[in-house]
Amino acid sequence: MTTSTVTPEIVTFAQGVRAALADLPADEVDDLTEGLEADLAEAYAEDLQRELPDPAAYAAELRLAAGLPVRSKSKQGLLSGLGDGLRDTKRDIGIAIRRNPALAGIADFLATLRPAWWLVRAWVAYEVAIHLIGAVNGNSLWLPTDLLQWLVLTAFVVVSVQWGRGRWRFRGLAPAIVVGNVVAAVLLIPMISAAESHSGDVYYTDSFEEQDLTGVYLNGETVTNIFAYGPDGKLLKGIQLFNEDGKPLTTSVPGGNGCLDPDCNENGFWTPSYLETGQTAWNVFPMQMVGMIFNEQTGMDEPDPAAKAQDREPPFVKVPAVVTAPKGEKPTP
Amino acid sequence: MDATQLLKGVLDVAVLAVVEDEDGYGYDVVRRLRAGGLEEVGDASVYGTLRRLYTAGALTSYVVPSEEGPHRKYYGINAQGRTMLDVQRKVWNEFSTTMNNLLEAS
Repeated sequence: MTTSTVTPEIVTFAQGVRAALADLPADEVDDLTEGLEADLAEAYAEDLQRELPDPAAYAAELRLAAGLPVRSKSKQGLLSGLGDGLRDTKRDIGIAIRRNPALAGIADFLATLRPAWWLVRAWVAYEVAIHLIGAVNGNSLWLPTDLLQWLVLTAFVVVSVQWGRGRWRFRGLAPAIVVGNVVAAVLLIPMISAAESHSGDVYYTDSFEEQDLTGVYLNGETVTNIFAYGPDGKLLKGIQLFNEDGKPLTTSVPGGNGCLDPDCNENGFWTPSYLETGQTAWNVFPMQMVGMIFNEQTGMDEPDPAAKAQDREPPFVKVPAVVTAPKGEKPTP
Repeated sequence: MDATQLLKGVLDVAVLAVVEDEDGYGYDVVRRLRAGGLEEVGDASVYGTLRRLYTAGALTSYVVPSEEGPHRKYYGINAQGRTMLDVQRKVWNEFSTTMNNLLEAS
């Protein structure tokens, strides 16, 4: 090691270098410039003809070699200071990720998924929009069901993808995109569950609050039993009903009860039918009912084991038979 | 072709090789690189590279007090640094062989 003196010029130069690195965390600056004076003093003791370089250029070379980002321009004001702080934090996180091969790999993988996110956030925006403008219709909310909805979704997709590709950007938009991304991420789960709960419903309702997903409704009234009549107008038994998606159309659930007699003096349990598979079915009509007794041990009503399931009184004994349309007439839909 | 441009790509392996030889402080590494023929290497590039290799876990570091002047920060190679050096040595050997063959063939 050569013994050397740290001259005032070297001290000033080192201060200039540290000032040019001032946007970095203090620890980082200390680590980068520790021993700087001693190294410089030694270098210039060896070669007295050498001139000290520009501190800023020297600092830039140090940064580049250390894999640190170039200096960001500092701004005045609290808000821009906050912005700088966020940017610095983001950059520090970025550096930390890049230094770890495993994290860098994950980051690269996630980066390839960005286009998928552009579509997801467009979908969330579309869902929010159709809820806001009240254009909710149909029983599937996953995808548009009419032209207007398709137009809205397409518009959101185009804007979202263009933003993602860095097109259509103008000054001041970046913070809006950040906020939009956060909002979309927060709303993603509620929107999925909203779309899910509206898919495949057997009835439509204008109100979101009064949803009971069990049962069949007619003009808002609960349907408790269904009576089917054949083409000949006679009552049919053992009719199995399904909706358009193949889901059983049920008016009651296990444990469901109702009035056993017309005056409702006694209650009874609705009883399921049995299928050849051994399973019980709640979508076989007309449903039968069985009387109930009070079990003192459990304190609950139970189906009376001694009672037999009884048919319910049909609304009509017979309805008019179905005939082919008279010649020259067609039923108007 | 500018040799300083080429140097940027191989400074890591050059610094690792010098430190593997013997622990060194910043300017000591610069001096040994220059003595080895890399006369154009910049001080700041070497200090930054040492710092980056240390942060990446390839080097150890310790401070040696000095009675006459400021303390010295020494860098030494560790197991991870040796592994890195071995890999980069192989890469360099294959690359230089390829380049030599290419240039001699033409």
